[in-house]
Amino acid sequence: MARDDDRVKSGVALVTGAGRGLGRALARALASRGMRVAAVGRDAQSLAETANGSDRITPVIADVSDFDSLRHAFEEADALGPLTLLINNAALYPRCDIFDETPESFMQTTRVNLGGSFAATRMALDRMAETGFGRILNVATFADLHPLPASAAYSVSKGAARILTRALVADLADRFPDIVISDWMPGMLATRMGIPDGLAPDQSAKWGVELALWHDPALSGTSFEQAIEIPPPRGLKGRIKDRLLGRRRPLRRLD
Amino acid sequence: MSREITQRHWDVIVIGTGIGGGTTGRALAEAGRKVLFVEKGPAGHRSEQTPLSPGIFVPEARSARGFWPAEVRARVDGREARFFAPLGAGLGGSSVFYAATLERPEPHDLDHSEARPHPTGGWPVSWTEFAPWLDRAQALYRVCGTPDPLSETPCPNLAPPPPLSRGDQHLTERLRAQGLHPYALHSAIAHLPGCKGCLGFKCPHACKMDGRSAGVEPALATGNAALLDRCAVTRLLGDGQRITGLEARRAGEVLTLTADHVVLAGGALGSPRLCLASACETFPQGVANTSGLVGRGLMFHLNEMFAIWPGGTDPSPSKAIGLRDLYWREGQRLGMVQAMGVAASYGEIAWYLRGLVENSGLGRIPGAAGLSRIPAAIAAKLLGTAKIFVGLLEDLPYDDNRVLPPEGDSDEIAIDYRIHDELRARRRLFRREIARALRGQRKMFLTRRPELNFGHPSGTMRFGDDPARAVLRGDGRAHDVANLWGADAGFFPTSMGVNPSLGIAAQALRVADAINREGRDGA
Repeated sequence: MARDDDRVKSGVALVTGAGRGLGRALARALASRGMRVAAVGRDAQSLAETANGSDRITPVIADVSDFDSLRHAFEEADALGPLTLLINNAALYPRCDIFDETPESFMQTTRVNLGGSFAATRMALDRMAETGFGRILNVATFADLHPLPASAAYSVSKGAARILTRALVADLADRFPDIVISDWMPGMLATRMGIPDGLAPDQSAKWGVELALWHDPALSGTSFEQAIEIPPPRGLKGRIKDRLLGRRRPLRRLD
Repeated sequence: MSREITQRHWDVIVIGTGIGGGTTGRALAEAGRKVLFVEKGPAGHRSEQTPLSPGIFVPEARSARGFWPAEVRARVDGREARFFAPLGAGLGGSSVFYAATLERPEPHDLDHSEARPHPTGGWPVSWTEFAPWLDRAQALYRVCGTPDPLSETPCPNLAPPPPLSRGDQHLTERLRAQGLHPYALHSAIAHLPGCKGCLGFKCPHACKMDGRSAGVEPALATGNAALLDRCAVTRLLGDGQRITGLEARRAGEVLTLTADHVVLAGGALGSPRLCLASACETFPQGVANTSGLVGRGLMFHLNEMFAIWPGGTDPSPSKAIGLRDLYWREGQRLGMVQAMGVAASYGEIAWYLRGLVENSGLGRIPGAAGLSRIPAAIAAKLLGTAKIFVGLLEDLPYDDNRVLPPEGDSDEIAIDYRIHDELRARRRLFRREIARALRGQRKMFLTRRPELNFGHPSGTMRFGDDPARAVLRGDGRAHDVANLWGADAGFFPTSMGVNPSLGIAAQALRVADAINREGRDGA
């Protein structure tokens, strides 16, 4: 139960959406911390660039919304060693006014963002439940709270993925306290999905990896934004009670 | 794989994989018998660390965790209550959650004597005959502890305990200074490196010895046993003299399983329900029920919980101390006292106080339960960290205390129970004696009303020599069914003043021995 956890690092990490942007940065940062990484993505060329001569990064071709291809990806990763870390990063953000979305295109985005996250988690759990140990980090967003226009499919599916984290905690936390599952908002990044003057993905990935290698049952169900923990919502009465009983824990930080 | 298991004829089918079923199955498999364990709940993942949590109420979620999925509907002294009891339904039964306290009964728990008359005239097996089986069970379960200084009988196969914590040493000294005789509680925990002391939750290693780790897993390792999980036996089928098959349900399919012998180990609540649910033309009162006693004689222990503040600053909970100074007092059967394994820090005191508030008239005032947090916080601050103890008060058997036949295929367990006057009287004596024994210590009783320990049901398939007053014979075989055996807490004709677990394991070994000696044709 530690930061920079040795048991996590001694296993294999699987990162989805590792062909570009934040996923590439996370895969490289994990490799530089000594981990073997299965870098999952759809495009062989991009994954090769991610691996770029690092013998710790293994490209694995799969589409997270094609669940059979994802099953094969996990089997390929099994050959590298015991899976201890999953980072659910693959996502689509189609900027689409509602009148340009069809039910089919909406559900396809959902199939990637929510379906891919669930599928990868479920397959990781098959491995992690055998050892009782693991770390799952979900790259998340606040887009669900106040959806931007032309962002319905993204906002809905990413919001649902945060609820999935809560549902997983409800199903798993008492039985498998050492499978730690949490959400992380990387901030607005200078990537294809993000904004031009966003944060450099390598900078954000440093925090992401710090959080990914932090194995502590108390982290399950928590959310971090960039480098700082987001406290759970607490009503006025709850906050007053906490003050009176002296129950104040400083917020965790990743920097 | 499944077809091969469900269609072959087995030497023995063991229904239930708790401490009784696991131990019987292991002894049979190790003797070369082909054994099928049939378990209602799931096998689960070996790495689980699940605590027994009353907060989980969705039946499918309870089943997935190895808890009995439905509520108990208990009518106690005429008042109905519904709650989730601390009962398992999964590989290892209730024992995977237990605190692994395996304590020996006293000779007077089995034998009748002038000095200590026995409530039912004595068990059908004497202390002298039964003790070697307790010894064997202790070895099998790797029990560690120190002998009870008050005991007049030897206690072999007791491994040395881990060193007492500073707080427990201090407490032991204070108890001795009061003239009491504390000893290291007997516990079935191997204390492997990295042991988390899994009291109240599943142990992910082969460290806590229970029906799974000391029963089913060694049995499966022999190659002579198989496990059918998520499979509920719904009826016992037979011709009036023998069981000819079991009707079971698995994944929506109805199966018929057959074996030379059938061992009932579904627990003191589960086994009689199955026998009663199997009533038919050939078994008009239910299976093995010519005596009419199946389900009757239900006993629980009473829990007298109290907190002691021994001083000192060691906050770790005790589950290391037991004492039997109050086992027999003033001609009455009382019971042993054990450290309960929870530190009475703020959290636990609040839980008990909340229970008291809810059970009193104040409970109906919204927010009243929350108020109990304030005195608990103050108590915790002022008095340091208390150790919580429980006195296990023996319960006596009454025919009208019973588990009722199930309704249809409902998993709800219906119980009818009356607290008799003699139990109230013994309880008052027990509390007086506890207060007297601990005079001078800072202490507080945590319960006001009698608290039935629903985790220790026993007595519902009692053994005895007289077929009119017993369901099973002394060797565990049903009186009126030649190939049906009972190997769970149902067999106890009296409940003793200790946890039932070691007694169940010992009797389970005797049942396996009797089946092994009978040979394959069940003659």
